[in-house]
Amino acid sequence: MKFLKIIRITLLGILFASLVGFFGFLAYMAMNAENSEETANTSIPNSESVLKVLAGSELKDIEPMLEMIKSKTGVQLQMEYIGTLDGAEKLTSQPGLYDIAWFSHAKYLSLLQADKKLIQAQEKIGISPVIPAVKESLAKQWGWINNPEIAWSQIAEKVKAGQLNYAMTDPTASNSGFSTVMSVQAAFSNKGDAITAQDVDAEKLKIFFSGHSLTAGSSAFLSESYLQDQAKLGGIFNYESELLKLNRNPLLKEKLVLIYPKEGTVTADYPLILLNKEKSADYQKVVDYLKSAEFQTWMMTNTDRRPVNPAVAIGAQFPKGYLMDLPFPNNIATVNEILFAYLNDRRKPSHSFFVLDLSGSMQGDRIAALKEAMTNLTGDDISITGRFAQFRNREKITIITFSHVVMDTREFTIDKDGVVLKEVKNYVTDLSLGGGTAIYTALQTAYLQAEEARKADPNRFYSIVLMTDGENRDGISYEAFNEYYKKDIDYLAGIRTFPILFGDASPDEMQSLAALTGGKTFDSRKSSLSQAFKQIRGYQ
Amino acid sequence: MLKRVLAPLLTLLLLAGVGYAIYISVTGQANTKAAADKLDAVHEIKGVIGSEKEDFFRDPETVAALAKLNLKVTWDKSGSREIASIPNLASQYAFAFPSGVSAAEKIKRDQNKNPSVKKSAQAFFTPMVIASWKPIADILIANNIVKKKGDAYFILDMVALFDLITAEKRWTDLQDNQQYPTNKSILVVTSDVGKSNSAAMYLALASYILNNNAIVQNEAQIAPLLPKLASLFSRQGFAEGSTEVPFQDYLTMGMGKSPLVMIYESQFLREMNNNAISADMIPLYPEPTLFTKHIFIPFNADAEILADALANNPDLQKIAAKHGFRTTNAALFAKGKNIAGLQDLVNVIDAPSYEMLEAMINQISPAK
Repeated sequence: MKFLKIIRITLLGILFASLVGFFGFLAYMAMNAENSEETANTSIPNSESVLKVLAGSELKDIEPMLEMIKSKTGVQLQMEYIGTLDGAEKLTSQPGLYDIAWFSHAKYLSLLQADKKLIQAQEKIGISPVIPAVKESLAKQWGWINNPEIAWSQIAEKVKAGQLNYAMTDPTASNSGFSTVMSVQAAFSNKGDAITAQDVDAEKLKIFFSGHSLTAGSSAFLSESYLQDQAKLGGIFNYESELLKLNRNPLLKEKLVLIYPKEGTVTADYPLILLNKEKSADYQKVVDYLKSAEFQTWMMTNTDRRPVNPAVAIGAQFPKGYLMDLPFPNNIATVNEILFAYLNDRRKPSHSFFVLDLSGSMQGDRIAALKEAMTNLTGDDISITGRFAQFRNREKITIITFSHVVMDTREFTIDKDGVVLKEVKNYVTDLSLGGGTAIYTALQTAYLQAEEARKADPNRFYSIVLMTDGENRDGISYEAFNEYYKKDIDYLAGIRTFPILFGDASPDEMQSLAALTGGKTFDSRKSSLSQAFKQIRGYQ
Repeated sequence: MLKRVLAPLLTLLLLAGVGYAIYISVTGQANTKAAADKLDAVHEIKGVIGSEKEDFFRDPETVAALAKLNLKVTWDKSGSREIASIPNLASQYAFAFPSGVSAAEKIKRDQNKNPSVKKSAQAFFTPMVIASWKPIADILIANNIVKKKGDAYFILDMVALFDLITAEKRWTDLQDNQQYPTNKSILVVTSDVGKSNSAAMYLALASYILNNNAIVQNEAQIAPLLPKLASLFSRQGFAEGSTEVPFQDYLTMGMGKSPLVMIYESQFLREMNNNAISADMIPLYPEPTLFTKHIFIPFNADAEILADALANNPDLQKIAAKHGFRTTNAALFAKGKNIAGLQDLVNVIDAPSYEMLEAMINQISPAK
């Protein structure tokens, strides 16, 4: 009896405890649910989350959505823009500066990071293949409209026959040029799988690139320059998204027909890349929003990139059918070898003019910075992007120095073994200063020489870099130069001037000069003279 | 006297019983009641997981089921073989949840002398499949490489496929290939074999077939296979670090990039439940195939509760099934909504030992 009673009490105790436990648990869950709701509601507006993003320059077109992203996720994206390869180098050489990277693709960074494991996570946000486009009249004539059989080799034939010249960005400065070079390399190798630099007949590539008539350091600038020079060009290689935009531009005189070569292309997939593990929660919120139907629809409508969210129906601007993808090399050495072969042997060589100010005000740090910027291009900058920017085999360099008059003009032709690079370096190192500043007399000298040179040797890219640290005091005026340029425009067009904003040079005058000649200013005051020179190399 | 005491006691007992019954039915965690009792407040544990399990942990149902156990789980994700080589793994994380027995074996061995390492649990498993497309399957059927099983399943003859791959055949070499007239080589897209388990599983499968349908046992058997094995990966060109990326490519970029992609069946079934699988996307079941086991390795007592729950808690198993994982509860997997995983897999092989797999990977990975 007593035994039974004990059992009964024990049992009761257990059940009672469970009961208390049960109601306690329910109460706890209810509280918990309330709490989590409260934090969910309050955390967004109060949040001060900021993610530092290093992004490809073409992603500037996302800026109108930054406020929306912030209001939907509570995370502010602090954007900084850079070219794809430059960006990859910056992230590997100086890790820890950014939380997020956002480029047109992650392949170069993946290969460059080697064992560093910079990429913590990545999610693709949008799709845009890099493809050729040709003028409608040419496409009609060649039977290329709605023709799925066009191969890269047919494009090469049109180039060889002198019927097609085109615009393309520099592959070491911009991803659309990079993707085009990789596509052509893969397509011409006829290999069907991963390529090496040797897989292709160099002569074939040279012929293909002989049609390259307009170059630029960024895809957006290429589109703008195409509009200026459209009368002289037959086609352009760019992102599908840029080409669709270009086709809606009222300044475009003849519609472009987008070609999807049957061997395939290299496609940009815009991965959002997490670099800083500590920020993974914020990163996830941003990814969730960027992949939401709302953002994807906006992106497709406003930037012409294809959506990755299958819930978003693909727009009518995109052709039906699948995108054929060409294989991409699996190691950094092969990629770099292809790029160096392009720069030194396969591309159309350039003739680059450097108009350099040696007036008295350049004394001290300024002349030192100028010499460094120039010698970096002779091989002193051994970083990978520094080597891409280096003066290339077959390239002609004309250095025009000035003070109150033109002091000296010296032309170099870079050789394969780098002997002339050393001569350039010695020449630059020995430069000494004079007095006065005759900017436009020197610039006119450069144009006269470039015009002559182009007549004699039309198969080169001609461009002028202008570096001055002050106002024009001697020689002809800006207005006089302006008149000269406009009068001779038929002979001078296409020779762009890239003025550098440095020291006390007038930004307004430099900007009008860039606009006049179809060039672009580079601001060395924000970075350095070396950085500005390096960036301009992408346009030469 | 006895009656007067007994009556209210019985009432109480009844109430308690009903309460308890409700408690059981509400929480459904009879199995882990003991575990739940151990935690009196929410414990946060952070682990490192293979990327293919992230969606499972992010699922609000999973979060709620874990909250019932007073657990809040956070994670970093990483390629499974990378997880195995993280230094001081057990001091950085409460648990590791890689894919593949070999990565798990390595972790357990590395942490062998570490007293904090608890009993691991085989939480989920999933067979390897090759994500493909209806038009591709039709071409492969026409060339006697794929055959249909019933109406819904496609069985891929791996021996025949490897014959094509190692002979460096291209899609244009196949008969009736009008739907995919590309000059590209026939290859299976994988992730980076040096980093990710799914690629290692492909290697395991390939080594078995190239070794005349036998699991490789020693270096002498491996040596003659190496050139062929290496070319399966090097010829693909660029490969991504984790399985989710090539699968994302498959979902977003389509047939042109990804005619054949080595993935886990769970990934495919998960996206089916997310309605991200279109009518022309299909999984090919390789024959032979192998299973990837997802082994949970806890490094502290809290994580051990999670290990137990993942292996035994019916709620979590139900959610896992929704994410495409097979669990010890086969009935659950079969019953899940939209689940169309092939039930009777025949000809399932075992992966080679950890040492053999590592030896092969080290010898074929491109130099760093």
